[in-house]
Amino acid sequence: MLYEQELKTFVEGTTNFFEVAAQQPATLGSPYLLEGTPAVHEYTGVITISGKREGVVYFTAPKAMLTVLLMKMQENDFSHETMRDLVGEVANTISGNARRDFGRDFVISVPSVLSGEKPDVPHKPGQRSFIIPINWRSHSAKLVVSLS
Amino acid sequence: MTFAGTERRRQLVTAGIGTALALLMGTVLIMGFRLATHMRADIVSLQTASSLQAYPEQIAGQLNALRDRLEVRAYAGQSLADLQDTVGRFDHDLKRLQAGNPDLPQLAQPLRLWRQYSPVLEPVISFSGQPYVDSDTGSTLSREGREHYAAVKQAQRFAAENAHALRQQLTVLAASLQRAASNAAASLRALLAAGVLAAVVLAAVAAWFQFTRGRHERAAREAQEQTRDILRTVREGFFLLDADYRIGSVWSEALTRMFNRKDFSGLSFEELLKDLVPPATLATAAKYIKLLWGDRAHENLMKTINPLGQLEITANDGHGGKETRYLQFDFHRVTGAEGVRHVLCAVGDITSSVLLARELQDSQESANSQLDMMLGMLHLDPLQLMSFLDTSETGLKLVNAIMKEPARSDAEFRRKLAGMMRELHSIKGEASILNLRSIASRVHVLEDMLAECRKKPELTGNDFLPMVLKLDELLAHLRGVREMGTRLTSLRETAPSTAGAPAGSAAAQPAAAASGGVTPQRRAEDLAPALKGMAERLAADHAKQFSLSVSGLADVPAPYAATIKDCLIQMLRNAAVHGIETPDVRRAHTKNAAGSVRVDFRRAADGFELLFEDDGAGIKPETLRSAAVLRQLITAEEAAAMDTRTSMALIFRPGFSTRDEVSMDAGRGVGMDVVARSVYAIGGKIGVSTHPGKFTRFRIVLPPIEGAQSTAVA
Amino acid sequence: MNARRAFKLMIVDDSNIMRRRIERSQQFEDLQVVGTAGNGVEALALFSQADPDVVTMDLTMPQMDGIECIGRLVALKPAVRILVISALADKATAVEAMERGANGFLNKPFTDRQLNEAIADLMRRA
Repeated sequence: MLYEQELKTFVEGTTNFFEVAAQQPATLGSPYLLEGTPAVHEYTGVITISGKREGVVYFTAPKAMLTVLLMKMQENDFSHETMRDLVGEVANTISGNARRDFGRDFVISVPSVLSGEKPDVPHKPGQRSFIIPINWRSHSAKLVVSLS
Repeated sequence: MTFAGTERRRQLVTAGIGTALALLMGTVLIMGFRLATHMRADIVSLQTASSLQAYPEQIAGQLNALRDRLEVRAYAGQSLADLQDTVGRFDHDLKRLQAGNPDLPQLAQPLRLWRQYSPVLEPVISFSGQPYVDSDTGSTLSREGREHYAAVKQAQRFAAENAHALRQQLTVLAASLQRAASNAAASLRALLAAGVLAAVVLAAVAAWFQFTRGRHERAAREAQEQTRDILRTVREGFFLLDADYRIGSVWSEALTRMFNRKDFSGLSFEELLKDLVPPATLATAAKYIKLLWGDRAHENLMKTINPLGQLEITANDGHGGKETRYLQFDFHRVTGAEGVRHVLCAVGDITSSVLLARELQDSQESANSQLDMMLGMLHLDPLQLMSFLDTSETGLKLVNAIMKEPARSDAEFRRKLAGMMRELHSIKGEASILNLRSIASRVHVLEDMLAECRKKPELTGNDFLPMVLKLDELLAHLRGVREMGTRLTSLRETAPSTAGAPAGSAAAQPAAAASGGVTPQRRAEDLAPALKGMAERLAADHAKQFSLSVSGLADVPAPYAATIKDCLIQMLRNAAVHGIETPDVRRAHTKNAAGSVRVDFRRAADGFELLFEDDGAGIKPETLRSAAVLRQLITAEEAAAMDTRTSMALIFRPGFSTRDEVSMDAGRGVGMDVVARSVYAIGGKIGVSTHPGKFTRFRIVLPPIEGAQSTAVA
Repeated sequence: MNARRAFKLMIVDDSNIMRRRIERSQQFEDLQVVGTAGNGVEALALFSQADPDVVTMDLTMPQMDGIECIGRLVALKPAVRILVISALADKATAVEAMERGANGFLNKPFTDRQLNEAIADLMRRA
């Protein structure tokens, strides 16, 4: 059973990135549960977790959102590589927050980045995931927490 | 350090006072000695001067006598000898006086005058010849006798003229010597007085100093005692680390409890932790301590990277076992002119707060014991349980579906609440009728969260985070209950005697139980005993008395079973909470103390009909209207315009209730609207008729069964 | 601070965005960016030639991570001041980095103000 604090740590890691890097806070949409493999957007930053909990946590965002985010960060390179860098940094922040809060219980991987139409997101069959929509400006990304 | 400094200063002051006293006494004694010596000389001089005063007259007299002797030619030798003696003594004394007081101005005049005496007296006293010549006519003056006589006469005249002046001058001299002597005496007195005074002052200073010193020592002793008391009783561990990372000589007693060790002096920080923490942690701690001495990073950064903020240590518990404790280390650099001198280390034992936080988390997981859950399930017909789990899971999935609808604004979030509450309320109702307390209480917690959300001025996704967690937990719990139910079923199969299952004998249905997770065939007549049980519980909970009569439930077609069950649960709860009055009230209204509730299911002309009737207080339309206004379901104007029929329909509106208190059984405002919604969902209708003070009757009409509809709910 | 000679800054981070972000956000007139590197190996190769006074250092990077790189840079030039900029927020990592010779620690994500304060602190110590 996931603890509230654990979920909050992941969520804060994500919203904190928007608040600090883009100086515009992101808000949470209505969270829900999902059985089966969640759908992802074009760019996804993944961290895998083992130890007391096993599974993945990832941030997946549409290209349009990342473009606006880069613009807010005064970046003018909107290449594929930069987009990957960006979701990687978000995942990095989530990973850093998790290490700070549960470093002693979790082994947290270095983030990896997935992109493309049908990326192969690791998913354990039968695992229920928490989907937390991250709304920023008019865009919406998703934080997926899939841990057992 | 401070104590030592003060002590050294004290010693210096003591030595200073001693030295000052010795110097003072020495000075006084030396000066007194000199003054006394002076005074003795003065007194001798004064005596001499006093004796000298008589001499001028004496000399004059003796000269007279000598002249007379010479005139009568008498023997003059004795007179001359006397004169010689007197002059010699005077001269000697005067010279001695002069030697003793060389600077005395009053001595100058008599000396000068005496020097004038010398040439006159000299010839007289130096005479040594024979003054007379003996002849027949008697003695006559010899030649040298005549000269002598002349000298004597001259001297006599001089002495007679000057004796008075000389005496006067000597008197002045004596008077001045007298004054000098008394001045010296006064000085000596003054000196002695001053010496005594100074000695008294010094003694007083010494005494005062001794007194304050005693006081300081007492204060210092008290301060030391206080420090010792603090160090003995303070709950934090305190110690200083020196530049070799070793613990100083002062530490607080709390350390002994924390580290199970008596002596810490000279212990290195690494030695302190060596056996208590894993090597990696020890290495990090050692590096951190080392960094504290450098100036690589400022204090704030050092604080933020303190790796010992919550240190887990495993230590002997003193009884041969191991125990895990959590310590919090804080480090403060103590800096001097030379940089960091010490590092003050404060250690707190935060085990209890850490464990409390853990327990809070754990208690969420085991809010209800598995035993409790199993006991509840033992009473249940497995089919009934599986049916409940199916509908509950469906309900929770509906809740999740509601959550899944995207939302950004407060209104969008708020819109979800009513629907979620309806579903949860229905699940909770069924869980409590089946006596599955572990599930009912979990749903109740979730309902509470929703109710809290309603009160918030602005809803965001953050408010829904705890709910999605709780929903996940609830689904997991239902899965656990299902697994346990399946196991229980197979247990009953292998042990058909059901000896360990009270009230379970009637529920043994081997044929159906084999289906396990597969949706079992629903049989609504099983509801009758459960309803009766629920009626008894509700009556007891709410201090009511009523009988429940049930008829026709055996004829409920399977597709309607779940809905009928939901409706009956809700209506029975409403009747028990709102409808049936307390026995006192009923007697006051000349009614039977025990009420009655009647449930009747029957085939009707175009389908089925369920009647639910209680002989309770009934419902007043105006009560419904004012409650609806209070809940802002309608405005006061709308209420005023309502007739009885539309007023009564308010009870089916979402979010309506006539009770404010929140209990497990009613009052959340999602009672009858759940019933109405589920009736509409299977194509039925619901109506209510009531007479205040007499009865409330709900009538549900359901359409005839068609093949396609049978799977709609599952 | 303006009266002093210009400081030379080297930025080490595997993310292009972060490198540009740091370069863009630093607001010191007397701080001149003399090189950027995407990992520890690149940083070492560039170091002797660029001879920076101040280095910002990411920790998780391919090929050679920041912790190792810090030690090597300090060995080459003990006076170099290193600011770790990383999302790794655990304390053991921070202590390890400081022990290797880092002088400051900044957590990702950071604001421009936090970055500039951290760099200013390093320049005071340089």
